[in-house]
Amino acid sequence: MGILMTSIKISNLEKRFGDLLALSDINMHIGEGEFFTLLGPSGCGKTTLLRTIAGFYRQDKGDIWLGDELINDVPAYKRNTGMVFQNYAVFPHMTVYENVAYGLKVRKLPAKEIDTRVKKALQNVHLAGYEDRTPDKLSGGQQQRVGLARAMAIEPRVLLFDEPLSNLDAKLRVEMRDEIRAVQKSLGITAVYVTHDQEEALVISDRIAVVNFGRIQQIGVPWEIYKNPSNRFVATFVGKINTFDIVLKESAGNGLRHAEFRSGDQVVPFIVPAAGTEGREEAVLAFRPEDVVETSQAESQNRLSGILEATSFLGTVASLELNVNGLNVVVERHRPKQGDIPAVGSRVEFAVPADACLLFDKKTGDRLREGGSR
Amino acid sequence: MIGGRKRADIWTLITLLGFAIVLVFLVYPLFDVFKYSFADKETGVPSFSNWVQFFSRTYYLRAFSHSIIVALLTTFFSAVLGIPLAFFTSRYRIRGSNMLNTLAVLALLSPPFIGAYSWITMLGRNGFLRNFFTSLGINLPPIYGLLGIVLADTLQYYPFISLMLAGALMTIDRSLEEASENLGARSLKTFFSVTIPLVMPSLTGGALIVFMMSLSNFGTPMIIGGNYLVLPTLAYNLYTSEISESPGMASTVSIILMMCASVVIVLQQWVSSRRKYASMLVNRPVVKKLKGIKSLAAHFICYLIVALSTLPLAIIVLYSFKNTSGPVFTKGFSLQSYKQIFFDVPKTVTNSFLYSLIAVLLIASIGTVLGFIIARKRNLAVRILDPLLMIPYMVPGTVLGIGFIVAFNRKPLYLAGTAIIIIMTYFIRRLPYSVRSAASILKQIDPALEEAGINLGSPPGRTFRTITLPLMQSGIISGAIMSWVTSMNELSASIFLYVGKTMTMPIKIYLSVADGYFGTASAMSTILLVVTGVAMFVVTKYFNRGSETFIAA
Repeated sequence: MGILMTSIKISNLEKRFGDLLALSDINMHIGEGEFFTLLGPSGCGKTTLLRTIAGFYRQDKGDIWLGDELINDVPAYKRNTGMVFQNYAVFPHMTVYENVAYGLKVRKLPAKEIDTRVKKALQNVHLAGYEDRTPDKLSGGQQQRVGLARAMAIEPRVLLFDEPLSNLDAKLRVEMRDEIRAVQKSLGITAVYVTHDQEEALVISDRIAVVNFGRIQQIGVPWEIYKNPSNRFVATFVGKINTFDIVLKESAGNGLRHAEFRSGDQVVPFIVPAAGTEGREEAVLAFRPEDVVETSQAESQNRLSGILEATSFLGTVASLELNVNGLNVVVERHRPKQGDIPAVGSRVEFAVPADACLLFDKKTGDRLREGGSR
Repeated sequence: MIGGRKRADIWTLITLLGFAIVLVFLVYPLFDVFKYSFADKETGVPSFSNWVQFFSRTYYLRAFSHSIIVALLTTFFSAVLGIPLAFFTSRYRIRGSNMLNTLAVLALLSPPFIGAYSWITMLGRNGFLRNFFTSLGINLPPIYGLLGIVLADTLQYYPFISLMLAGALMTIDRSLEEASENLGARSLKTFFSVTIPLVMPSLTGGALIVFMMSLSNFGTPMIIGGNYLVLPTLAYNLYTSEISESPGMASTVSIILMMCASVVIVLQQWVSSRRKYASMLVNRPVVKKLKGIKSLAAHFICYLIVALSTLPLAIIVLYSFKNTSGPVFTKGFSLQSYKQIFFDVPKTVTNSFLYSLIAVLLIASIGTVLGFIIARKRNLAVRILDPLLMIPYMVPGTVLGIGFIVAFNRKPLYLAGTAIIIIMTYFIRRLPYSVRSAASILKQIDPALEEAGINLGSPPGRTFRTITLPLMQSGIISGAIMSWVTSMNELSASIFLYVGKTMTMPIKIYLSVADGYFGTASAMSTILLVVTGVAMFVVTKYFNRGSETFIAA
């Protein structure tokens, strides 16, 4: 199909609903053909941003560019953005064919071209042969395919996805996720995808913008978002992570620093990265459950132990919930073998490698690293 | 939301249209009524004389208390008939319960005075039932007055209670009653401590509608009330006697009637706004099968109730085929009465059809677009307009009729004696129902569908036409059919507004009954009944609407 590759540029965008500041200080540049995801909890503003791009809301400040065109004052029906809705929004009074043809008829295309494009779009979503069905005869997954075909058929400048998979069951969700990604890549069309599911975001995206409280928290490729979060919110929202307060001590050389984890009358010595901690005496330490090392050697660094309170077995991973002097800490064991999972109530010892330690500002939550936050 | 641009679009124009309708056809005439009620009869200067008179003369106060007594008794007896019927048909297997419901609805929707006039033919001064009982040596009490009004009103309005209550009883989550029994309550205890409280809002809601309907009913007390005046008939009598002067006293009575109606409506809104317990229909209660004598008794009660309310309708149909000689029924059957209608007053029939048809087109189209802005464009102006559009709920037909005739009997809007004034009466009286139903249909249509249309490149107007309207279609049409039926049967307002050439069937029936020409009246009533029946059939058959459509009407 003759799809135009279009970039999206958003600068200094702000949107209010009455007193509520729904979006502020939004700046992003989405490249041609990029699969870009807006990730965040419900109410964070991600859907508002998508709907503002679609033109259903008018921003109070800032600009939106589609390619070279400033679209601030272009009404929604002239923006040529293909949207896929959360609850499918398949027209119930039309057949599958009529649904997909709707946008093409509006564009007054010749009947022959409409027919070609509808058939092609339905083929792309594996719904060829379903033309005459009515939506009430389709499953949720099939309805969403119709929604996708309908949005693609108009050859939009960008595809917009508003949590398109959240109403589908788990298995179908994975299937559709891969399909959406495949179709988008094969057409080379720019896509903006909204989800609250961090796993979905990591798998499907070229880049992710994590959104919270109407602000962008971090933009990056999935690996970066997960491994190198720019603040405590991103670290806790994407993947699992353990956090606790530590007191920073003298330098340990080699870009490391001594620290202490205090709990009750117990003081555990720690070695943490020194970057960004200059002049600070305290911080929040965070590490991911899968980064801990099993150990019983007395000399290993950053050693903690806790009482096992609960276990959950997930096939490839066993997750252990520990009580470390009154703090909840989760650690993981990979490819557990029989007998690998200790009994509840027993003591489990583990170590946190210094390079797995992430530090955040206690008040602002900003990441402490070379050159300051962000 | 749609469009996103701030400019005067089509929806702004529709909002303005809504305000114009409210101002011209509600505020203006009602304000006139208000003004006249506070004007001295002779001099026209502002005064409380009408109000002082109303509250100091027993003649007026009696009509007030009569109205309340009629409404209370009608509500009570409607509950007596409606509750058992609802309970038996919803919880036990009653053969032919669909037919029973249909017949009850037919009685409910029949022209508002057919019952009264039918009971006169049965139990009036020379009624055949009365004569029959007299020949047995039993003298029945006179039917004219309180007894007749309550009898006719009850047998017409009890379906409000039976249908609303049955609806609630059928949608209670079965597991609630099961939970109660699981916790150790006997079934009788469960019924009184779980079932009854759960359906109470529907029961009181239905009862208040019955109260409201009998309070503002004009036709029944006019025909069968005799000297027993209630507020609507008092207002009518005052108006016809005041015709040469200003309708001051009639206006005062109207305002008092409207205030009573408003109190009831406010109560009813309050009851229906409280939590309704009707749940998703996953766990419907079981319909039990009764055996032996119990089953017989339940069937007998249900059939008796419905038969009583169907009897007056059947008598009318029967009488329409009887031979007449002037006002007297003679032996034998023929189509004589129908011939008379079509030769003497064909215009009356065509008027009724034409006026109600035009009114329905207005009601459906304007009601739909107003319903759309109320459901989808809740800006400040629309939020002000919304309650204003509901005013006709509180205005009894009699009051609207008086308001229209005083306001539109002079410039700048001289409409008296035209067909327009009657059409506008139908329009205004039904508009709130149409707006409400359009808005509630829209609430069930996902706004994302409209957004999808817009997103695919269709401008707002086209999206409304190609997406929203087709989805609303069946709701709009079935609502329009109901509006048509109620407009065809409208009497209480149009009686003030008709002239010879704009006479409609209900008015002709009323006049024929008053003159004793029962044959013509029966034939016309039968025509209206058939129209009502066909409309009901179409709505249930082709639009799959349940009885809730009819009680919402």
